[in-house]
Amino acid sequence: MHDLTNAVWIELRKATRSRMPLFTALGFLVLACGLAFLMFIYKYPTFARSIGLISAKANLVGGAATWPYYLGILGQAIAIGGLLVFSLVESWVFGREFADGTLKDLLAVPVARANILLAKFIVVVLWSLFLTVMLVLVSLLLGATMGLSQGTTEVFWHGTVTLAVAACLVIVDVFPFAFFASVGRGYLLPMGVVLLVLVLGNVVTIAGWGTYFPWAVPALYAGLTGKGNLEAASYLLVLLTGLAGMAGTYLWWKYADQNR
Amino acid sequence: MNLPIETVDLGKRYGKVIAVEHLSLRVAEGEIYAFLGLNGAGKTTTIRLLLGMIKPTWGTAQVLQTRVRLGSRKPWAAVGYLVETPHSYQELTVFENLEVARRLHPGTTPEAVSRIIERMGLAAYADRRAGTLSQGNAQRLGLAKALLHTPRLLLLDEPANGLDPAGIVEIRELLLELTREQGVTVFLASHNLAEVSRLAQRIGILHQGRLLQELDVDELERKRRRRLLVRARDLEAARLALAIAGHPAAMLRDGTLELTDLPSLEHPDDIASLLVQAGVPPTQVMVEEEDLEQYFLRLVGINGGHNHA
Repeated sequence: MHDLTNAVWIELRKATRSRMPLFTALGFLVLACGLAFLMFIYKYPTFARSIGLISAKANLVGGAATWPYYLGILGQAIAIGGLLVFSLVESWVFGREFADGTLKDLLAVPVARANILLAKFIVVVLWSLFLTVMLVLVSLLLGATMGLSQGTTEVFWHGTVTLAVAACLVIVDVFPFAFFASVGRGYLLPMGVVLLVLVLGNVVTIAGWGTYFPWAVPALYAGLTGKGNLEAASYLLVLLTGLAGMAGTYLWWKYADQNR
Repeated sequence: MNLPIETVDLGKRYGKVIAVEHLSLRVAEGEIYAFLGLNGAGKTTTIRLLLGMIKPTWGTAQVLQTRVRLGSRKPWAAVGYLVETPHSYQELTVFENLEVARRLHPGTTPEAVSRIIERMGLAAYADRRAGTLSQGNAQRLGLAKALLHTPRLLLLDEPANGLDPAGIVEIRELLLELTREQGVTVFLASHNLAEVSRLAQRIGILHQGRLLQELDVDELERKRRRRLLVRARDLEAARLALAIAGHPAAMLRDGTLELTDLPSLEHPDDIASLLVQAGVPPTQVMVEEEDLEQYFLRLVGINGGHNHA
């Protein structure tokens, strides 16, 4: 346990001293501002048109300046934006050891490799949760400032649960990116895979198989298709994907030749 | 016998390329063993094999009486190492980098960090980010990480890289002190022959993945080629006079006579007298000893050792 505590301390120190937290936080803040901007347009469409924020031909059908709609698109933003940003965090935490040549200092040490890896996963989870909470709080603040309607306790409770579950699904979904960063010995492979996953996610969802594509499950859960058609198998697939990512990363770090 | 490093027929192949093969090493406790080889000879691969970073294709390695296995926690508590270029976390300070290393070696006290900073001459840079260090100080930081937990065995890959002459002397003295006073065993890989000859007690010469020769420093003295170089105004006459007296001499490309027979090497004054008496007084008589570099190049078959006409 002491080794794990030390390993977490090390990973936290490395993460907080780097620019990664700043850049990912900025990314999520931009996302929050983008969503708030959208709600502003829905709330004040005539004003937005008059000052040129949107074109006269802009189609605003389907959206509404309400808390349920706002929380719904926030959930989708976490599901899709989170996949991008959390996988970036995952790739950085694992891939940097290869890219920076620091991996060798973690290999022949009297600390179990499982502890070193677990500490990395813990930091990824903590930072992803922090980003989610920050995004939600900033969004709530902006929503409250705009005076969105239908803000009942039930709406907020349901919205909070949806956002929390969507965030957890994404966080588990990105565990395999630690494996891709390790196998690719850097950032390129996981970044390539995340783009591929986003494209494939769209294709399989349109084809109706999104419930069986683990990286599409969080967006479907958050209501991308407007209906909750997920099965227990969908959640199980996400869990298995996360576990496979962790196991693959461990096996790679333990048994692969490390030449960096 | 207590052997901190012992390998049996150790080898590593990458696809069709054999990086190291048939490597059987025995490094004794408290000795400085230098692994000498050109770039790509297999020195770093050997160190990675010894540290369990790559799995051997053939053979076994034991470090501190423990069979080396990939991903194992043993025996690394008592091993310090520096592999290739030292890399540190650029965004962390020197102190923080060492604190990271300390926490990866449970049981190492927090005071050890300050102690090693002082010892390695890094006190002025303790709060500087590692990314801003010069190459020499980055090397010192790498060595500090290797020494932090007072290991019994040090595996150092090119430890003098990037150090200035004063730094090289400092590190040499530090390593000698560690072996003398604390019985630390040092296994170092280097292509710096001059440094190796000053530091090591035993030398292993590695070439194209194979251990060509192992020898201790005394043995090296004996095996190094000596020759007597003679110059005279009339070289042909001098060569003839020496041949008649039973000292065969070879004519070198640069117009020097080379004698390698033992009487000539042990009594160069007799050779000088002989030439004077023969009417071809020498303009130069000099005994030249092959240095480690020349010995090494001769051994690996690369032109650069003593050359003949």
